[in-house]
Amino acid sequence: MIQLESVEKAGCDFAELVREHQSMVFSLSYHFLHDRDKAEEVAQEVFLALHRHMADIKSPDHAVSWLRKVAVQRSIDETRRRKRRPQVALELVAEPAAHSPSRDPLLEEVLRRLIATLPEMPRAVMIMRYQEDMDPTEIAEVLDMPLGTVKSHLQRSLALLREKLERRGVGDR
Amino acid sequence: MDWFEKELSRALERKDPPRGFAERVTARAAGQGGAPVETRSGRPRAFGLPRWLPVAAALLLIAGSGEQAWRRHQGMVAKQQVMLAMRITAGKLNHIQTHMREARQ
Repeated sequence: MIQLESVEKAGCDFAELVREHQSMVFSLSYHFLHDRDKAEEVAQEVFLALHRHMADIKSPDHAVSWLRKVAVQRSIDETRRRKRRPQVALELVAEPAAHSPSRDPLLEEVLRRLIATLPEMPRAVMIMRYQEDMDPTEIAEVLDMPLGTVKSHLQRSLALLREKLERRGVGDR
Repeated sequence: MDWFEKELSRALERKDPPRGFAERVTARAAGQGGAPVETRSGRPRAFGLPRWLPVAAALLLIAGSGEQAWRRHQGMVAKQQVMLAMRITAGKLNHIQTHMREARQ
Protein backbone atom coordinates (compact mmCIF):
# COMPACT_ATOMS: atom_id res chain seq x y z
CA MET A 1 0.00 0.00 0.00
CA ILE A 2 2.83 2.34 0.96
CA GLN A 3 4.63 1.40 -2.24
CA LEU A 4 1.53 2.02 -4.35
CA GLU A 5 1.06 5.43 -2.76
CA SER A 6 4.68 6.33 -3.46
CA VAL A 7 4.28 5.24 -7.06
CA GLU A 8 1.19 7.40 -7.46
CA LYS A 9 2.95 10.34 -5.82
CA ALA A 10 5.79 9.90 -8.30
CA GLY A 11 3.23 10.48 -11.06
CA CYS A 12 3.34 6.92 -12.41
CA ASP A 13 -0.21 6.00 -13.25
CA PHE A 14 -0.15 2.85 -15.40
CA ALA A 15 -2.78 3.94 -17.95
CA GLU A 16 -1.07 7.31 -18.23
CA LEU A 17 2.32 5.66 -18.78
CA VAL A 18 0.83 3.49 -21.52
CA ARG A 19 -0.73 6.48 -23.28
CA GLU A 20 2.41 8.56 -22.97
CA HIS A 21 4.98 5.96 -24.02
CA GLN A 22 3.09 3.68 -26.39
CA SER A 23 4.74 5.23 -29.47
CA MET A 24 8.20 4.90 -27.98
CA VAL A 25 7.79 1.25 -26.99
CA PHE A 26 5.96 0.26 -30.18
CA SER A 27 8.54 2.02 -32.37
CA LEU A 28 11.51 0.44 -30.60
CA SER A 29 10.01 -2.98 -31.28
CA TYR A 30 8.86 -2.08 -34.78
CA HIS A 31 12.23 -0.75 -35.88
CA PHE A 32 13.89 -3.77 -34.34
CA LEU A 33 11.59 -6.42 -35.83
CA HIS A 34 10.27 -4.60 -38.92
CA ASP A 35 6.92 -6.32 -38.40
CA ARG A 36 3.89 -4.34 -37.13
CA ASP A 37 1.99 -7.31 -35.70
CA LYS A 38 5.00 -8.68 -33.85
CA ALA A 39 5.89 -5.19 -32.68
CA GLU A 40 2.42 -4.76 -31.18
CA GLU A 41 2.66 -8.15 -29.47
CA VAL A 42 6.06 -7.30 -27.99
CA ALA A 43 4.94 -3.80 -26.97
CA GLN A 44 1.90 -5.24 -25.17
CA GLU A 45 4.11 -7.70 -23.31
CA VAL A 46 6.45 -4.87 -22.30
CA PHE A 47 3.59 -2.85 -20.79
CA LEU A 48 2.17 -5.90 -19.05
CA ALA A 49 5.61 -6.51 -17.54
CA LEU A 50 5.62 -2.87 -16.43
CA HIS A 51 2.22 -3.41 -14.82
CA ARG A 52 3.66 -6.27 -12.77
CA HIS A 53 6.65 -4.15 -11.76
CA MET A 54 4.83 -0.87 -11.04
CA ALA A 55 5.88 -1.06 -7.40
CA ASP A 56 9.56 -0.90 -8.44
CA ILE A 57 9.15 2.21 -10.56
CA LYS A 58 10.47 5.21 -8.67
CA SER A 59 9.81 8.10 -11.06
CA PRO A 60 8.56 8.91 -14.56
CA ASP A 61 12.19 9.01 -15.80
CA HIS A 62 12.81 5.62 -14.28
CA ALA A 63 9.71 4.33 -16.10
CA VAL A 64 11.09 5.61 -19.42
CA SER A 65 14.49 3.96 -19.03
CA TRP A 66 12.84 0.75 -17.74
CA LEU A 67 10.52 0.65 -20.76
CA ARG A 68 13.37 1.27 -23.20
CA LYS A 69 15.48 -1.45 -21.68
CA VAL A 70 12.71 -4.05 -21.54
CA ALA A 71 11.45 -3.18 -25.05
CA VAL A 72 14.92 -3.82 -26.48
CA GLN A 73 15.38 -7.01 -24.44
CA ARG A 74 11.99 -8.38 -25.53
CA SER A 75 12.65 -7.47 -29.15
CA ILE A 76 15.98 -9.32 -29.02
CA ASP A 77 14.19 -12.32 -27.42
CA GLU A 78 11.61 -12.27 -30.21
CA THR A 79 14.34 -12.16 -32.87
CA ARG A 80 16.12 -15.10 -31.26
CA ARG A 81 12.87 -17.00 -30.95
CA ARG A 82 12.26 -16.62 -34.66
CA LYS A 83 15.89 -17.69 -35.13
CA ARG A 84 16.25 -15.82 -38.34
CA ARG A 85 16.99 -12.38 -39.57
CA PRO A 86 14.30 -10.20 -41.18
CA GLN A 87 12.84 -11.91 -44.21
CA VAL A 88 13.77 -9.15 -46.64
CA ALA A 89 17.07 -9.81 -48.39
CA LEU A 90 19.16 -6.76 -49.12
CA GLU A 91 19.05 -7.57 -52.81
CA LEU A 92 15.26 -7.28 -52.73
CA VAL A 93 15.26 -3.82 -51.20
CA ALA A 94 13.96 -1.31 -53.70
CA GLU A 95 16.38 1.16 -55.16
CA PRO A 96 16.06 4.50 -53.40
CA ALA A 97 15.44 7.68 -55.30
CA ALA A 98 18.79 9.44 -55.15
CA HIS A 99 19.69 13.05 -54.39
CA SER A 100 16.27 14.43 -53.58
CA PRO A 101 16.62 17.47 -51.34
CA SER A 102 13.20 16.96 -49.72
CA ARG A 103 12.01 14.10 -47.57
CA ASP A 104 12.40 10.77 -49.33
CA PRO A 105 10.04 8.02 -48.07
CA LEU A 106 11.65 5.36 -50.25
CA LEU A 107 15.12 6.10 -48.89
CA GLU A 108 13.70 6.05 -45.35
CA GLU A 109 12.17 2.61 -45.95
CA VAL A 110 15.46 1.34 -47.39
CA LEU A 111 17.29 2.62 -44.32
CA ARG A 112 14.77 0.97 -41.95
CA ARG A 113 15.23 -2.32 -43.76
CA LEU A 114 19.01 -2.01 -43.76
CA ILE A 115 18.96 -1.30 -40.02
CA ALA A 116 16.74 -4.34 -39.47
CA THR A 117 19.46 -6.50 -41.04
CA LEU A 118 22.15 -5.42 -38.55
CA PRO A 119 23.12 -7.86 -35.80
CA GLU A 120 21.06 -7.51 -32.59
CA MET A 121 23.24 -5.28 -30.41
CA PRO A 122 24.39 -2.83 -33.11
CA ARG A 123 20.74 -2.63 -34.23
CA ALA A 124 19.60 -1.83 -30.69
CA VAL A 125 22.31 0.84 -30.38
CA MET A 126 21.39 2.46 -33.70
CA ILE A 127 17.67 2.50 -32.91
CA MET A 128 18.27 4.08 -29.51
CA ARG A 129 20.62 6.64 -31.01
CA TYR A 130 18.46 7.72 -33.95
CA GLN A 131 14.91 6.97 -32.80
CA GLU A 132 15.27 8.06 -29.20
CA ASP A 133 18.06 10.59 -29.80
CA MET A 134 19.98 9.12 -26.85
CA ASP A 135 23.66 9.86 -26.47
CA PRO A 136 26.17 6.98 -26.23
CA THR A 137 26.43 7.30 -22.42
CA GLU A 138 22.66 6.86 -21.96
CA ILE A 139 22.64 3.94 -24.38
CA ALA A 140 25.50 2.30 -22.49
CA GLU A 141 23.53 2.63 -19.24
CA VAL A 142 20.29 1.23 -20.65
CA LEU A 143 21.97 -1.69 -22.43
CA ASP A 144 24.48 -2.40 -19.63
CA MET A 145 27.28 -2.09 -22.15
CA PRO A 146 30.69 -0.39 -21.97
CA LEU A 147 30.69 3.09 -23.51
CA GLY A 148 33.50 2.10 -25.89
CA THR A 149 31.42 -0.80 -27.23
CA VAL A 150 28.45 1.50 -27.87
CA LYS A 151 30.65 3.98 -29.74
CA SER A 152 32.25 1.21 -31.75
CA HIS A 153 28.83 -0.25 -32.69
CA LEU A 154 27.71 3.21 -33.81
CA GLN A 155 30.80 3.86 -35.95
CA ARG A 156 30.82 0.44 -37.56
CA SER A 157 27.08 0.43 -38.26
CA LEU A 158 27.20 3.91 -39.78
CA ALA A 159 30.12 2.92 -42.00
CA LEU A 160 28.38 -0.30 -43.05
CA LEU A 161 25.08 1.41 -43.85
CA ARG A 162 26.82 4.21 -45.79
CA GLU A 163 28.70 1.62 -47.81
CA LYS A 164 25.53 -0.34 -48.58
CA LEU A 165 23.72 2.81 -49.63
CA GLU A 166 26.62 3.95 -51.80
CA ARG A 167 26.57 0.57 -53.54
CA ARG A 168 22.98 1.42 -54.40
CA GLY A 169 23.97 4.74 -55.88
CA VAL A 170 23.13 7.04 -52.97
CA GLY A 171 26.25 9.00 -52.10
CA ASP A 172 27.09 12.09 -50.04
CA ARG A 173 24.79 15.05 -50.39
CA MET B 1 24.90 15.50 -37.76
CA ASP B 2 25.47 15.04 -41.51
CA TRP B 3 22.78 14.33 -44.15
CA PHE B 4 23.07 10.59 -43.60
CA GLU B 5 22.45 10.78 -39.87
CA LYS B 6 19.55 13.15 -40.48
CA GLU B 7 18.06 10.61 -42.89
CA LEU B 8 18.53 7.93 -40.22
CA SER B 9 16.70 10.05 -37.66
CA ARG B 10 13.84 10.58 -40.11
CA ALA B 11 13.71 6.89 -41.01
CA LEU B 12 13.59 5.93 -37.34
CA GLU B 13 11.04 8.49 -36.23
CA ARG B 14 8.56 7.15 -33.71
CA LYS B 15 5.49 5.50 -35.20
CA ASP B 16 2.04 5.36 -33.67
CA PRO B 17 0.94 1.89 -32.62
CA PRO B 18 -2.22 0.41 -34.17
CA ARG B 19 -5.47 2.09 -33.08
CA GLY B 20 -6.78 0.97 -29.69
CA PHE B 21 -3.37 -0.24 -28.51
CA ALA B 22 -3.49 1.56 -25.13
CA GLU B 23 -7.03 0.28 -24.47
CA ARG B 24 -6.03 -3.29 -25.30
CA VAL B 25 -3.04 -3.10 -22.98
CA THR B 26 -4.94 -1.61 -20.05
CA ALA B 27 -7.76 -4.14 -20.54
CA ARG B 28 -5.29 -7.03 -20.52
CA ALA B 29 -3.56 -5.62 -17.46
CA ALA B 30 -6.87 -5.19 -15.64
CA GLY B 31 -8.32 -8.54 -16.70
CA GLN B 32 -7.88 -11.87 -15.01
CA GLY B 33 -5.89 -13.33 -17.86
CA GLY B 34 -3.93 -10.14 -18.39
CA ALA B 35 -0.72 -11.28 -16.80
CA PRO B 36 1.32 -13.59 -18.98
CA VAL B 37 1.99 -17.02 -17.48
CA GLU B 38 5.55 -18.14 -16.89
CA THR B 39 6.38 -21.14 -19.10
CA ARG B 40 8.74 -23.96 -18.22
CA SER B 41 11.46 -22.22 -20.18
CA GLY B 42 10.97 -19.18 -17.97
CA ARG B 43 9.62 -17.07 -20.82
CA PRO B 44 6.31 -15.31 -20.30
CA ARG B 45 3.51 -16.73 -22.42
CA ALA B 46 0.36 -14.82 -23.28
CA PHE B 47 -3.16 -16.00 -22.37
CA GLY B 48 -1.92 -18.94 -20.26
CA LEU B 49 -2.48 -21.48 -23.04
CA PRO B 50 -0.06 -24.29 -23.85
CA ARG B 51 1.96 -23.68 -27.01
CA TRP B 52 0.80 -26.90 -28.69
CA LEU B 53 -2.89 -25.98 -28.36
CA PRO B 54 -3.15 -23.64 -31.39
CA VAL B 55 -1.18 -26.15 -33.50
CA ALA B 56 -3.51 -28.98 -32.46
CA ALA B 57 -6.57 -26.81 -33.15
CA ALA B 58 -5.20 -25.90 -36.59
CA LEU B 59 -4.55 -29.58 -37.40
CA LEU B 60 -8.07 -30.52 -36.32
CA LEU B 61 -9.50 -27.76 -38.48
CA ILE B 62 -7.43 -28.85 -41.46
CA ALA B 63 -8.43 -32.49 -40.92
CA GLY B 64 -12.09 -31.47 -40.54
CA SER B 65 -12.11 -29.32 -43.63
CA GLY B 66 -10.24 -32.06 -45.55
CA GLU B 67 -12.89 -34.61 -44.63
CA GLN B 68 -15.64 -32.17 -45.60
CA ALA B 69 -14.00 -31.58 -48.97
CA TRP B 70 -13.70 -35.36 -49.53
CA ARG B 71 -17.38 -35.85 -48.71
CA ARG B 72 -18.33 -33.01 -51.00
CA HIS B 73 -16.27 -34.60 -53.76
CA GLN B 74 -17.95 -37.99 -53.23
CA GLY B 75 -21.36 -36.29 -53.35
CA MET B 76 -20.50 -34.64 -56.67
CA VAL B 77 -19.34 -37.96 -58.16
CA ALA B 78 -22.58 -39.68 -57.02
CA LYS B 79 -24.65 -36.81 -58.48
CA GLN B 80 -22.82 -37.07 -61.81
CA GLN B 81 -23.44 -40.86 -61.88
CA VAL B 82 -27.18 -40.36 -61.21
CA MET B 83 -27.37 -37.71 -63.96
CA LEU B 84 -25.62 -40.06 -66.41
CA ALA B 85 -27.99 -42.93 -65.51
CA MET B 86 -30.97 -40.58 -66.03
CA ARG B 87 -29.63 -39.49 -69.42
CA ILE B 88 -29.14 -43.15 -70.52
CA THR B 89 -32.63 -44.09 -69.30
CA ALA B 90 -34.17 -41.08 -71.06
CA GLY B 91 -32.33 -42.02 -74.27
CA LYS B 92 -33.61 -45.61 -74.07
CA LEU B 93 -37.18 -44.45 -73.37
CA ASN B 94 -36.98 -42.08 -76.35
CA HIS B 95 -35.75 -44.89 -78.51
CA ILE B 96 -38.61 -47.23 -77.39
CA GLN B 97 -41.17 -44.44 -77.88
CA THR B 98 -39.92 -43.83 -81.43
CA HIS B 99 -40.16 -47.58 -82.21
CA MET B 100 -43.70 -47.73 -80.82
CA ARG B 101 -44.74 -44.69 -82.90
CA GLU B 102 -43.28 -46.29 -86.02
CA ALA B 103 -45.02 -49.65 -85.26
CA ARG B 104 -48.39 -47.90 -84.89
CA GLN B 105 -48.02 -46.15 -88.26
